[in-house]
Amino acid sequence: MDKYKTEPLKLWNKAKELRLKFYENYAKAHEKKGIRWAGGAWTLDAVPRGLGDDVWSLTSEPYSASIAYDDDFSLRCLEATEKAGYARDICSYIRNYWGSIILNEYAFPEFSKTWPTPDFIFQDHICCSHAKWYQVVRDLEGDVPMFCVDVATGPAIESDGDNFRYIEMKKHAVDYVVNQCLDAIEWLQKVTGRPYQDELLRKAIYNHMRSTSTWAKICELQKNVPAPLDEKSMYSLYVLGTLGKAGQWCADFYDDLYEEVNDRVARGIAAVANERVRVMSDTQPPWAFLKLFRYLEEFGCVSIGSLYTFGLIGQWEMKKDGTWGARTYPKTIDDLPKGREEMLAEYIRFEINKPEWQHFYHPKLKSAMMLKIARDWKLGGAMLHFNRGCEGLSVGIAENRLALQQAGFPVMTFEGNMGDERENDKARVKARVDAFMETLGLKRDFIKQDKKVEEVMV
Amino acid sequence: MIEMYKEWYDARHEYAKEWKKKTGGKVLGYFCTYVPEEILYAAGVLPVRILGSHETQNLTEPHIFAMFCPFCRDCLAQGLEGRYSYLDGIMIAQSCLHVRQAYTSWDLHIPTEFSYYLPMPHHVQSPHATAFLRGEYELFIKKVERWTGRKITDKDLQRGIDIMNRSRNLMKAVYETRKKEDVPMTGLEAMQMVVSSQMTEKAEHARITEGVLNELEGRSRGKEKATRVMLLGSENDDVKFIEMVESLDAVIVHDDHCTGTRYFWDTVEANGDPLTSIAQRYIDRLPCPTKDWPERRRVERILQFVKEWNVAGAIIIQQKFCDPHEIDIPAIRTALEDAGVKVLFLEFDVTVPVGQFKIRVEAFLEMLSGDDLF
Amino acid sequence: MITAGIDCGAKNVKVVILEDGKVTGKAMAPAGIDAASAAEKAFDDALKMAGCGREAVTKVVSTGTGKSEPKFKNDIVTEVGADARGIHYLYPNVRTVIDVGAEEGRAIRVDEKGKVVDFAINEKCAAGAGAFTEAMARALEIPLEDFGPFSLTSNQEVPMNAQCAVFAESEVVSLVHRKIPKQDIARAIHNAIADRITSMVRMVGVTPDVALVGGVAKNVGFVASLKEDLQMEITIPEDREFVGAIGAAFVAADAK
Repeated sequence: MDKYKTEPLKLWNKAKELRLKFYENYAKAHEKKGIRWAGGAWTLDAVPRGLGDDVWSLTSEPYSASIAYDDDFSLRCLEATEKAGYARDICSYIRNYWGSIILNEYAFPEFSKTWPTPDFIFQDHICCSHAKWYQVVRDLEGDVPMFCVDVATGPAIESDGDNFRYIEMKKHAVDYVVNQCLDAIEWLQKVTGRPYQDELLRKAIYNHMRSTSTWAKICELQKNVPAPLDEKSMYSLYVLGTLGKAGQWCADFYDDLYEEVNDRVARGIAAVANERVRVMSDTQPPWAFLKLFRYLEEFGCVSIGSLYTFGLIGQWEMKKDGTWGARTYPKTIDDLPKGREEMLAEYIRFEINKPEWQHFYHPKLKSAMMLKIARDWKLGGAMLHFNRGCEGLSVGIAENRLALQQAGFPVMTFEGNMGDERENDKARVKARVDAFMETLGLKRDFIKQDKKVEEVMV
Repeated sequence: MIEMYKEWYDARHEYAKEWKKKTGGKVLGYFCTYVPEEILYAAGVLPVRILGSHETQNLTEPHIFAMFCPFCRDCLAQGLEGRYSYLDGIMIAQSCLHVRQAYTSWDLHIPTEFSYYLPMPHHVQSPHATAFLRGEYELFIKKVERWTGRKITDKDLQRGIDIMNRSRNLMKAVYETRKKEDVPMTGLEAMQMVVSSQMTEKAEHARITEGVLNELEGRSRGKEKATRVMLLGSENDDVKFIEMVESLDAVIVHDDHCTGTRYFWDTVEANGDPLTSIAQRYIDRLPCPTKDWPERRRVERILQFVKEWNVAGAIIIQQKFCDPHEIDIPAIRTALEDAGVKVLFLEFDVTVPVGQFKIRVEAFLEMLSGDDLF
Repeated sequence: MITAGIDCGAKNVKVVILEDGKVTGKAMAPAGIDAASAAEKAFDDALKMAGCGREAVTKVVSTGTGKSEPKFKNDIVTEVGADARGIHYLYPNVRTVIDVGAEEGRAIRVDEKGKVVDFAINEKCAAGAGAFTEAMARALEIPLEDFGPFSLTSNQEVPMNAQCAVFAESEVVSLVHRKIPKQDIARAIHNAIADRITSMVRMVGVTPDVALVGGVAKNVGFVASLKEDLQMEITIPEDREFVGAIGAAFVAADAK
């Protein structure tokens, strides 16, 4: 039944170590007189890096996903937030995060028994919940200084509904974001009492470009049949970008990972030995129900990624030959401008192209990118998670479904929640998968369930 | 004259069609009150707000995922039903994710001559937001000029500002009368005044409001003893609910809604460049919670209203699934309670079970009047 | 060739025997607590009607919520696939199948070959399935079998404002207190369920012909409301409970 050879990723343990190190560094920052700060996975994290090399962050979404993966702790967090008077249909990452603060427990008790309060909050804002999230965090943590940067200056691509192309960011928009960052730098110096080092900012911006572009390059390799990675593994790898995309460790890791995945492609190593049909998913998965992807594999169906895994962190561009590939960035760090304002402008002009920022303006932009993936990555269909836990990534998803269907791609949808286990009906989702696989003409292989404990990092 | 508001509210579509016939002008439907109507008036375009009809419907299911608010689905349903077929254009100013989808699905499925997404900044507390918004207005104006085939001058913009400011000042004057012990106007009339101003030509609406101000002078509703209530929340034009509240021993004296004060309370302050002045107005206006950060400026305004209008109790109406409001509610609730104002919280859908809400409002009013006894 | 289809539902087990594209036997047995033995019994009954023994049956395909229960099955098919194949045999012009059972509603878009193109399932909202009708009939103290015909005697429309099954029950109580005639309330309830179902059907698109199958298809009140909502005629097969089993039997025949 197995068509392809498969083998585990060699860098798996390295990825695991880096992730744990991240949560440890944050928790223990004060022991070495370092600074710790909090912000979302999309925050412009190169900016606080100008304060020094001992500045450690906690990114809210992956942290909350880590909570969600642990259903017992998650349930306690969710209930603590509800008890504090917050609505049950608010973003489930937010509710897990707030709960962790209210309970005064860190999801990694090996590094800290209590909630490690940040010294400051530095957040971006494009989803309605971004700045609002930390506004409440501040209520709960006791007035931690907070700065948020609005990056919602309009789309970076335009589309006729089928194809898309990149457009240049307007000057007044660049100025708006850059000026907020310049204000933030002044503010950072005030709240931390540290001088700001532009050279560190420059390094961070370069690392950022390197990480996000290399991740896209890795995702490009998923075009190969068989796919060298499955999406469930990709979750554990892209997460490093959500933790520290502007960090050297992250950029270096992605370089190594690219080498390994490329080697898998060269040797024909598959993620799923019985790959028969390739699909993509959409939005965050239900973190406590990643077995769903294993279930797909029983039918020979492999999820090769999604706009979410490709474009939450990855930076892309349209190549001359019409392919969609990793975004080009300056050859060396010396090619980046030296002035603070100029390098920030370059940073913003690069980051504004993030694929996962475009659907905030119009679902047709996301549909066009999804169709590009569906065609160029040779997909047979899509499985969209109508995620009750995230307004931001579910915006327009119903229209994305219609657009994919109209283009002839079979689509299955299922309702669930990335971070609230109470909203996932596993048996019924599986029943849906059964029906969908039947429409794709796939029979279940009844392969043995993995005996080893499923290991995932989120 | 005051009945005019209800007539307009009930016959919004007939009004717009009539206006088109009369003037030959273009009508633009907008989805959020952050749309700069000044510029549309300057262009000679009639802006009308797209609102729902508070009926159950099943047309929007394929277009908007069910966890988004009932309001945005209700708005989109109006378009899919063909009730706004007379619109020449549609637009939205970037605000919440929910109503944005009503706009984008409309844009995808209902052919309209002109369609525009205005990236209204979120960080309105940043000193750089006004300059960005001004830049966006310039782009917007170019598009509108191409659409209407007519240049928009500074003089036109000034006219737009004057029209909007006059309307705002008059409605504020009407709200002033609600400070009286014998409140001369019902909450329903006030809501319909504001909402009808979103659906009619502002100068015409202003003329009526001038007359209404006179009419209110000697008007008594004999509810001096009734409990003074304020309504808070996102969008609220739920006639049945407001009627029900006022059928009890309560009088609605103020609100924080985008179908109320958030829409009109702030005027454009002239500071030379009309476009900057307009931008400044939308940056500084009473914010929607999506834009109310890092500080919660809305809370200060609410407390000011509570004090000046002598509010005894607040009913927080929450549109189901509205995260931005939901996130603010505990803080607002605490602020109100600290100020001695009791709070009733109700979750709203497109239609609300009035019977059950009545029991809760009655209990709430009973609790408030109980306070007076001791 | 003789094949069999079994639909192991939550309430009843249905079996169909198919010989060379024709239904020659069918039987139904209450699922009870032991669906496996119920399946055995229904299978034997259906075989008796068809006049053949088990050994004559080439292949048995099972569907329904308890599809893994029958020991004598050779394969399974999902409810979605079975409904599609079943309706294709009965009414080849049907492009949209609506299946409303006790706990779940389904809408399926079928192509001209009986293949599933798209499907939607209403699983979260109790206000869109048969169990809701039962609860509401109880609240109004009307026998379930009379509930549909009774609602057709209504001559005024009362809106149901509660959007949720839990609230709907208390709204029904307050409508009763307001002395709204019970038949009008009954109609309002059917309108509300039809509205939920229509929402779901719109997900797959309302392409004629439209067929309604499943237990709730027996409720004339619901059928009237659904027709009004969709504004079109709806085909209701006589063997509406056997559509899934027929489909399963055809799936068995197609495989060989």
